[in-house]
Amino acid sequence: MTIDDDAEAFAALSKELPAIDVDSTTAEMIARRARQDLGKGPSLRRWILPITAGVATASYAVWTIMKLIEVLG
Amino acid sequence: MVRCTCVEAAWIAGLRRGDASAFDRVFTAYRRRLYAYLARMTRRRDVAEDLLQETFLRLAQHARRLDADTRLGAWLFTVAHRLVVSWARAQAVRAQLAGDLPLRESPHDARSPLEALADSQVQLALERAFAQLAPAYREVALLVGVEGMQPTEVAQILGQKPEAVRQRLARARIQLAEALGEHCPAAWRTHDDRR
Repeated sequence: MTIDDDAEAFAALSKELPAIDVDSTTAEMIARRARQDLGKGPSLRRWILPITAGVATASYAVWTIMKLIEVLG
Repeated sequence: MVRCTCVEAAWIAGLRRGDASAFDRVFTAYRRRLYAYLARMTRRRDVAEDLLQETFLRLAQHARRLDADTRLGAWLFTVAHRLVVSWARAQAVRAQLAGDLPLRESPHDARSPLEALADSQVQLALERAFAQLAPAYREVALLVGVEGMQPTEVAQILGQKPEAVRQRLARARIQLAEALGEHCPAAWRTHDDRR
């Protein structure tokens, strides 16, 4: 059996699957929400956590280095 | 590499310009396919709706950065696949934190919302058989069988090697034949017996 045989077998069987769709009100709501973001780029909020973590890590690293210098110096 | 169609090229050009009508055309063309995929992967309509919205939000946010030769179907299904993976991981963590067993599929004697759509015994058996497939096999079966995607394209979407997709599809076929039982088509039964 080749992959094409398996794919054909699934394609034939899948025609029997019941049709599933999102209801039109929800679909319109989803489309409207997404349309508002069209071309705007990802929200800046997604950067808040990485920036906070980065600043915290950098601060801790600086503090550690200063402490090391203090102890060794 | 498969080139995108002329129609899709026009849609992508529109998306890159921020054209809302181009977005609407893409939404109309792909919403049903993506929703069916998401609903069958998550087995929950509410989650499928959330993930469908997230998929199209990401398309809207990335619209201006799409390459001219982007294959929209593959792009959208890649996003949807990643969202399903994230959702499944979150579900597993939640179940672990709750000290609970992982979420299980609907019991056989109760109809899930998806199964309620089935018009006949065959459709019901098929929907249940798909639900019983391991998620990794179900996903390949849905993308190749229902969506008619090429295994190489599915491999790209899933981040797998084409050989892995071929193996999953073959195993999915065996599992599905077992799950279908008496409703299994004769051709499938013959195939299964030969293995």
